[in-house]
Amino acid sequence: MSHTPFILASYLISAFVLLWAALAPVLSKRKLVRQLKVRHTRAQRSDVSQQHMDKT
Amino acid sequence: MNPIYLFFHKTGSPPWFYRFAGKLIPWLWAGFVVLTAIGLYLGLLRAPPDYQQGESVRIMYLHVPAAWLSMMIYGMMAVTGFIALVWRIRIMEVLTISSAPVGAAFTIIALVTGSLWGRPTWGTYWVWDARLTSELVLLFLYIGVIALYNAYDEPRKAARAAALMAIVGAVNLPIIHYSVMWWNTLHQGSSIGTSGSSIHPSMLWPLVFMAFAFKFYYGANLLSRARLKLLAQDHRKRWVQELLSGKEK
Repeated sequence: MSHTPFILASYLISAFVLLWAALAPVLSKRKLVRQLKVRHTRAQRSDVSQQHMDKT
Repeated sequence: MNPIYLFFHKTGSPPWFYRFAGKLIPWLWAGFVVLTAIGLYLGLLRAPPDYQQGESVRIMYLHVPAAWLSMMIYGMMAVTGFIALVWRIRIMEVLTISSAPVGAAFTIIALVTGSLWGRPTWGTYWVWDARLTSELVLLFLYIGVIALYNAYDEPRKAARAAALMAIVGAVNLPIIHYSVMWWNTLHQGSSIGTSGSSIHPSMLWPLVFMAFAFKFYYGANLLSRARLKLLAQDHRKRWVQELLSGKEK
């Protein structure tokens, strides 16, 4: 029995699992920062319009 | 104040920890890449085939370090979980829950590579052997910790429940380690112990390099996940607002 398919499968599956586990937090962080930035900008805009309303 | 004490004191501060982890992560990834390259070169190109296992011994350079790390990470989770429960340090709660997916990944690698090694060597992918079964239980424990954490809405309550489960589940670690001695198993006993190693240096060195590479991977991945958790938990706090508005890097 040739051992090559078993060795190849082991290394490929391990590389996939490690890559997935490494990329998951990076992608989640990118998504979270994007959402928080949108929320932050909206909050700043509403603050500015509130100040404008108070003046008028 | 003693610098070591001061360092531990500082790690309790989320903004400081976030910045410190951010500086450390690229170095840990670099260490992982370099050590993996050396380990793979030695393991795949330089190490000879085993006289009994043949070429399939090359799977061991992944399987053994992954199995070691799967246990080490759970041990770390139990320790950080204990500290989190006793001293109520939030960073420790975050580290406990951030370790679980990385530990689960290494347990999956250990189980899959072990199974792929078992087919040409033992003639079967799986046997309900004590070592294999207790390692599978470890995977279920990791999944249990992650599921328990996600079952709560309040992150601190969730982290404390997950920490408690991590501590209770640590009872499985000595079972995995001593299973080959306590029961008559198909899985072989340890070749590396405190008294030395029975492995030839040409096969031992790739194992050592891969073991250190995986530890660097764990460090980098753990800190990335911990930073993400801190950012999500503290998104209303001033340090995150400053970070988002670009005042702080």
